[in-house]
Amino acid sequence: MNAVRVHQFTAAIGPRDAVSHHTFEVDTLLRDLGYESEIFAQHVHPDLRDRVRDYRLHADLEADVVLYQASTGSPVADYVLTRTEPLIVNYHNLTPAEMFDPWEPHIGAELDFGRRQLGRLARKASHGLADSRFNATELEAAGLDDVVVAPVLFDPPRLRRSGTIDVGEPPTLLFVGRLSPNKCQEDLIAATAALRRWMPEARLELVGATSSHRYETALRDYAQRVCPGGVAFAGSVSDVQLADAYAHADVFVCLSEHEGFCVPVIEAMATGTPVVAFAAAVLPETIGTAGVLLDNKSPTNVAVALQRVLTDRELRAQLVENGRRRAATFSPERNRSVMREALRRVVEDCV
Amino acid sequence: MTHANAADSQAYINRVRAEIEAEAEARRRRDPELERREREIERMWIEVAPPGAAGSQGELLLDRADRLAMIDVDVPLGSRPGIRQMKGVIRKGAYWYLRYVADQVNALNNILTRLLRRFDERINALEAAAGVGDGDGLAESVPEPTDAVADVVASVLGSQVGRTMVLGCGSGVLVRPLHEAGITVHGVDRDALNILPGVRDGLDLRAAEPAAHLAEARPGEFGAVVAAGFVEDLGPTAAQRIVEQSIAAVGNGTVVILASDPGDRGVVERELRAGRGLSPATWSYLFERAGATVDLVETTDLRLRTLVVARLV
Repeated sequence: MNAVRVHQFTAAIGPRDAVSHHTFEVDTLLRDLGYESEIFAQHVHPDLRDRVRDYRLHADLEADVVLYQASTGSPVADYVLTRTEPLIVNYHNLTPAEMFDPWEPHIGAELDFGRRQLGRLARKASHGLADSRFNATELEAAGLDDVVVAPVLFDPPRLRRSGTIDVGEPPTLLFVGRLSPNKCQEDLIAATAALRRWMPEARLELVGATSSHRYETALRDYAQRVCPGGVAFAGSVSDVQLADAYAHADVFVCLSEHEGFCVPVIEAMATGTPVVAFAAAVLPETIGTAGVLLDNKSPTNVAVALQRVLTDRELRAQLVENGRRRAATFSPERNRSVMREALRRVVEDCV
Repeated sequence: MTHANAADSQAYINRVRAEIEAEAEARRRRDPELERREREIERMWIEVAPPGAAGSQGELLLDRADRLAMIDVDVPLGSRPGIRQMKGVIRKGAYWYLRYVADQVNALNNILTRLLRRFDERINALEAAAGVGDGDGLAESVPEPTDAVADVVASVLGSQVGRTMVLGCGSGVLVRPLHEAGITVHGVDRDALNILPGVRDGLDLRAAEPAAHLAEARPGEFGAVVAAGFVEDLGPTAAQRIVEQSIAAVGNGTVVILASDPGDRGVVERELRAGRGLSPATWSYLFERAGATVDLVETTDLRLRTLVVARLV
């Protein structure tokens, strides 16, 4: 009997991209399960062309199952919708278009388009995979009944720290994530500015490339006005630099309005960095009781929370312990095992 | 020392959250300069952000409509020689036609966006004329129910009620007997300072807007919803929303409303709360209209004389 052929599709594949990494991991798991697996995308980074093919070359090929990695609007989804093979949608969430509209209207339009495509994909697909219950609920609301929650596949930086603050070093707040309106880095800057009223040495490090140059320019201007010298924009960093950033951070703080899973929160917890976050979108689900979740992110509220975490030894110790325990539930081994079983189930149901 | 037990550690983190919110509120009350500084920080973001980025959803959509209303027929030509010239020729050839069509579409779009702005202005004017929001905070806040009333609520619900939510929980008077009876219960109140003592006693009390918290509940998520305090400041439309949302939240469970009768109010309270607060009889009518079976349970309390107990079957 021939092996089942699973063809994965995604909008773009590039290095240092979470959905791309996940797609490659799924490819490996599918092969481990004894299936034939291939990846197709519209935009493929030159370094990865030996592993990923252009989706426009797929038309004459046949598969037994099509698996689509959904994270934005793309012509690839329209192509997938024309295929007759059973369809599985792996949903990584779409940022609400309104968050990008004032900054990058074309990205807002792309996200709106993606949201409309999601409805069509959900109605056509037989099975769904979602990174979180939050994402699963969106996929179910779009019209897909059979959705399995299976986490995004990632490798947290291999680093441990003591959880105590380096004496003599200024308190360092860290956020890791693209400079993007849905991640609300302006609220992080505002909170740092408020915290400096009581801890004048406090500084914020923002790690991550940009999704909008207009947004980045505004953030830099804002930081200069309200928090001069207190905010560092590190941009995109290597794995070693990322591990170093977690090692030197005293608190990981996330005030995003919208996240579909938020891998950096798990990375922070895995490396022993206490987490303070705004309780929005998926964050209560991802963090559980392993961080301080705030219902109100006014600069004063966040600053008081940060000051408390920076100065209360008992609280820090509890957050570090809870965080490590929580991160262990998302260990790469466990995630792969959950995803492997989910893939086996949905693919077997399809063929 | 850390709490190894998951339940203890959750209670500890909940307590810390409540203390943080209460501390922020206390600092604001102590130091008026703090609030001014906070507004200043937020204002500076509005200065550097584009229109709509720091406003409400309605403003954002109006800005977006404005921006998209004007169609630009002067398409960019690019910078590569040759292609630039070719695009220039095409643009010149098609310009007269595109301009003709675009002028008409722009004129229509302009009228429509102007109309939207007019509607927005009219609605704002109507809200101002109706005095929406006027009088908020002038009336004394609604006192918490007594322990005796809390015991009546606990006995009405029984010990098999299932997961329970208390909206407008104050310091936790209504939550405590349910918690002690072993029911999974949490309370919600908009005053972060008010809930702190209860949280320190180990009750699951959260600072949030009660109506918004209820709106987020999943259908059938709770066995019972108890609402007190804030319900006495609701007009008929908002009360009807609470009826619908609480019925959805309990599925086949029970909703208890603790509201005094507006007819018992003194002159000052009557005038400052004019149009707000429904009598137990009206709450009962709204629940029955929505398909619930309602009992009016008498208490010995002088203010909350009658509790509205709506059961969904």
